[in-house]
Amino acid sequence: MNFSVHSNYEKKITKGDLKKVFWRSIPFEHSWNYERMGNVGYTYAMYPVLKKLYPDKDDLAQAMKRHLTLYNVTPYICTFPLGISAAMEEANTMEEEFDTESIGAVKSALMGPLSGIGDAFFWGTLRVIATGIGCSLAMKGNILGPLLFLLIFNVPHYFLRYFGTFLGYKLGSESITKIMASGLMDSVMEAASIVGMMVVGAMTMDMTAINFVTKIGSGEEATTLQDLLTDIVPGLPVLGLFGLVYWMLKKKMNPLLIMLVMLVFGIVGAFFGFLG
Amino acid sequence: MIIKTILIFLIGLLGYSEWLLGTSFLQRPIVLGPLVGLVMGDMQAGIIMGATLELAMIGAVSIGAYNPPDLISGTILGVSLAISSGAGADAALTLGIPIATVMLAVDTALGQPIMLFFIHRCDKHAETGNIKAFNRSMFIAGYAQSIFGIICIPLAFYFGSSAVEKLLGVIPEFVQTGMDITAALLPALGFAMLAQTMMNKKVAPFFFIGFFLVAYLKISTTGVAIFSILMVLMLIMFGVIGKQKGEAIVAAEEDGGDFDEF
Repeated sequence: MNFSVHSNYEKKITKGDLKKVFWRSIPFEHSWNYERMGNVGYTYAMYPVLKKLYPDKDDLAQAMKRHLTLYNVTPYICTFPLGISAAMEEANTMEEEFDTESIGAVKSALMGPLSGIGDAFFWGTLRVIATGIGCSLAMKGNILGPLLFLLIFNVPHYFLRYFGTFLGYKLGSESITKIMASGLMDSVMEAASIVGMMVVGAMTMDMTAINFVTKIGSGEEATTLQDLLTDIVPGLPVLGLFGLVYWMLKKKMNPLLIMLVMLVFGIVGAFFGFLG
Repeated sequence: MIIKTILIFLIGLLGYSEWLLGTSFLQRPIVLGPLVGLVMGDMQAGIIMGATLELAMIGAVSIGAYNPPDLISGTILGVSLAISSGAGADAALTLGIPIATVMLAVDTALGQPIMLFFIHRCDKHAETGNIKAFNRSMFIAGYAQSIFGIICIPLAFYFGSSAVEKLLGVIPEFVQTGMDITAALLPALGFAMLAQTMMNKKVAPFFFIGFFLVAYLKISTTGVAIFSILMVLMLIMFGVIGKQKGEAIVAAEEDGGDFDEF
């Protein structure tokens, strides 16, 4: 694949400009709203590049307006589409017949696949691992728990956020269309999902607890319902609970309602003494 | 008490600055809990209560259209009030979860419209080229959304402490035990929500591999993460993942070649 299109900073945008974009990408979600989501955050981050490319006030206003349309992406990799947009805006100022609509089109086309990868990796995998390690320490009252939680999540986060800016710019719009067509995005997403799913499965068993304390039998042979179930398959009660909740979500039940149902179930269980 | 209230206000402000500071998870209970504990003079309790809330609320991230309960108010008030009334982690849950849920409703119903007003101001400023005003409106917009939380947290802390102590006294034993049981059930909801965003026929078996690795072999989550990464590498090596990729790249390169001829 030919990545050399924008690999040298011989045009208007310098490495310093892109660094500014990275810094200004940090408050990306601060102005996240229901109407157009990350629109203001995106424009805010694009500003240094736009200002340089469009010295004319009207052109600048036009460019800003262009980026104030609906946009949403996992915040940690928002610099990647920002870099691509920067390359495209630059091309716009250098090529006479550049179609500005393509800037928005490429942005929008990336929204779905990028968020898919980003959500699976950052929220599904990295955060869950950070939470798992952090909480196991914090539960014992160890201050390393919260510190490790922040480090495990944020070191890869800022690393990817920083380099995403330059990667996006270097790839530009042309190569990205090729990559999307090549199915590489799908493969990355699949790989991230597999790791995510395994970790989520492990965490479900590790972190969820349900204990049926109802006694079965009497005297010497007395055992609890819990022991009976886990003797058949370890983790069966947790798996049952997970399956039930998953089914409820699939039936489009509101998560807050499910939370309420669990709360009532827990309290009723404590009252009648079948849960412990 | 006044100093504590001011410090609690600052922790709240830090929590609601989460999105200004790169969505770096500063607002999670596991981080805010210890800070509140420090202010209340019992950091140890803060760490443990924070972790308890964190696990119960592990699913509370904005996935898709779902908006999670407001963990910031829930954690700060839950932990601070539980410590000040000398109660345990179960009290932090009993208080924190309802507060977080109510605050979400307030933010959505009242905070969002105020925020949108400032978002629309940004459009105007972009048009007139007033970048300073644009930046200002953006800054205000983010905090406008959480304005009720920012104000309510210190107030509820200042006036709520004695009331909460009485409240915890009259809540029957089984309700608090029930909250403990619920807290252990809640992660199932979080993981189910996460799983749903990633689930398809191709990756479904991997959930069960992870699950039973822990159920049968009691491997830690980190261990499973390492195995899963190795497994993915193996799948890539054997060409199970990204099989179509190679062929498609060739096709893409051919496309590129055609392009050059023009």
